[in-house]
Amino acid sequence: MSTSRSLLAIALPPFVAAVVALAVWEGAARALSIPAYLLPPPSAVASAAVGDASALAGACVTTGLASLVGFLASAVIGVAVAIGLASSRIVERGLYPYAVALQTVPIVAIAPLLVLWCGAGPRAVAASAFIVSVFPVITNSLAGIRAVEPALRDLFTLYGASRSQVLFKLELAHAAPQIATGLRIACGLSVIGAIVGEFVAGFSEGSPGLGILVMTSYRQLRTDLLFAAVGCSALLGMLMFAVVSAASSLVLRRWYVAAR
Amino acid sequence: MTDLVRNRPLPARAVLALACLVALVGCSRKEPDGGKSTATATATRVKVQLNWVPEPEFGGIYAAREGGAYEKAGLAVEILSGGPGSPVVQVVAGGQSDFGVAGADDVVIARARGVDLVAVFGTFQTNPQGVMVHSARNIASLADLKSGTLALEPGLPFGMYMKKKYGFAGATLVPYDGGIAKFLADPNHSQQCYVTSEPIAVKRKGETPKVFLGADAGFNPYANVIVTRGAMLREKRETVRAFVAASAEGWRRYLDDPTAANAAMAKRNTAMDAETFAAAAAAQKPLIETDEAKKSGLGVMTEARWAKLAADLVELGVITKAPAATECFTDVLTVTK
Repeated sequence: MSTSRSLLAIALPPFVAAVVALAVWEGAARALSIPAYLLPPPSAVASAAVGDASALAGACVTTGLASLVGFLASAVIGVAVAIGLASSRIVERGLYPYAVALQTVPIVAIAPLLVLWCGAGPRAVAASAFIVSVFPVITNSLAGIRAVEPALRDLFTLYGASRSQVLFKLELAHAAPQIATGLRIACGLSVIGAIVGEFVAGFSEGSPGLGILVMTSYRQLRTDLLFAAVGCSALLGMLMFAVVSAASSLVLRRWYVAAR
Repeated sequence: MTDLVRNRPLPARAVLALACLVALVGCSRKEPDGGKSTATATATRVKVQLNWVPEPEFGGIYAAREGGAYEKAGLAVEILSGGPGSPVVQVVAGGQSDFGVAGADDVVIARARGVDLVAVFGTFQTNPQGVMVHSARNIASLADLKSGTLALEPGLPFGMYMKKKYGFAGATLVPYDGGIAKFLADPNHSQQCYVTSEPIAVKRKGETPKVFLGADAGFNPYANVIVTRGAMLREKRETVRAFVAASAEGWRRYLDDPTAANAAMAKRNTAMDAETFAAAAAAQKPLIETDEAKKSGLGVMTEARWAKLAADLVELGVITKAPAATECFTDVLTVTK
């Protein structure tokens, strides 16, 4: 009873906001007779989504897989890099600026290079997703590890804990909420990275991803399908976010009140 | 107009109002003497939106401006440069620009989607789009292209036609990125190209690629077509006629001697050197001045070719219903109404 009510309290406000926004959009598109090639009304987008449902679903799977691979690589490599950087102040000072530089890399500019290096296809697309999403993992994990209280480190040293015990039982355990934050940011970014990657490196036949679908519908003036594809990419990002959030709260809720 | 005025402070409004008044007076005064005007203050201002950066494929438009053809026709023309993905159709249909340069396929697609866009000058009689292959691969026909990667712009009717005709089984299709880096780096990479552009750039790197034109494969829509919106044709037909006539004159001038217009374009496109400008201008000449154009005039368009294009686009599944060929284009120079 109380769970269903709280679920309603969570789900209702965004639902109402969506309905209102769509109604205003639909009304404005009709009242101002905005040409459909500039801004199609939601009804046109919906009918395009239904009409091209199989193309959209296939594109979601292709793009979703590439972003997932990129995201998992970000999670593993990002945390590993953070551990490496945290191991010594010298290493951090030497390498952290380059991790920052990675974030400022305009992915649109280097995506064509990824094709030259990795060859076209899912690998280059996943690499693009990785580059875009790895930085928040590194920086959040590093901040978490750095924030371990010196007194706790002393305690571990006092009890003669091994390096791996310090790593797993102190540093990573302590940084877990921040790592989770980094992962939540990264999963949305990985979808963006995958789509940008597809613009230059995606396969355009077989099962083309959302990026290819966006290009095709733009080229053929199918603004309704373009909006549907953009909507799908947003849904994909939200789905990834929801899964990562659920997984992290499942893992963290035993130890952290805030993650309940 | 109202939006333009509303957000400005009062003095700006006054200036704008004055400018409108001057423009109005200028227009009304211009009518009696057949649209001819000498002073630029009374010229009709029009904009033309290109679909790429200034390159020889727009040579006639720049030649018309540099050589004074637009001015003589009573037009003050602002040329808006484009780039990859320039929304020419939207900009012209929406009224931000009076004219645009687009592909004939863009016009048919736009009309099929309910956009009132009309072609008024068919610059390239032979479509310059083709597939560029490394000559070392000894491929005699595109039907033999069965390996490596092939870069085509997703959704572009040209690529869809070639794919349908030749299959390219065994080759991996990737998006076209507008550059030649992949082509230079990979001996098994092929890509779509403008025969007047990428192959020349590759040649300057020391290799002569083999180019298969879409036109030879049976897909030959007019390219770099000057377009306008239907309302413009109905309400300001004289302006459209003047612009097309002056553009045709510019093209004549450019085909005879592209030097001055190339210099003007080179200032706005520093990525391309003078030699490449000259080479591209020479390469495109036979595509613009075909036998048909020599006979019937530069930019000539026929109903049969528009109908064929519309039918091709239906067959490719790009559009579901072909718009009438006669709606797609208008010959403003010879047809009076």
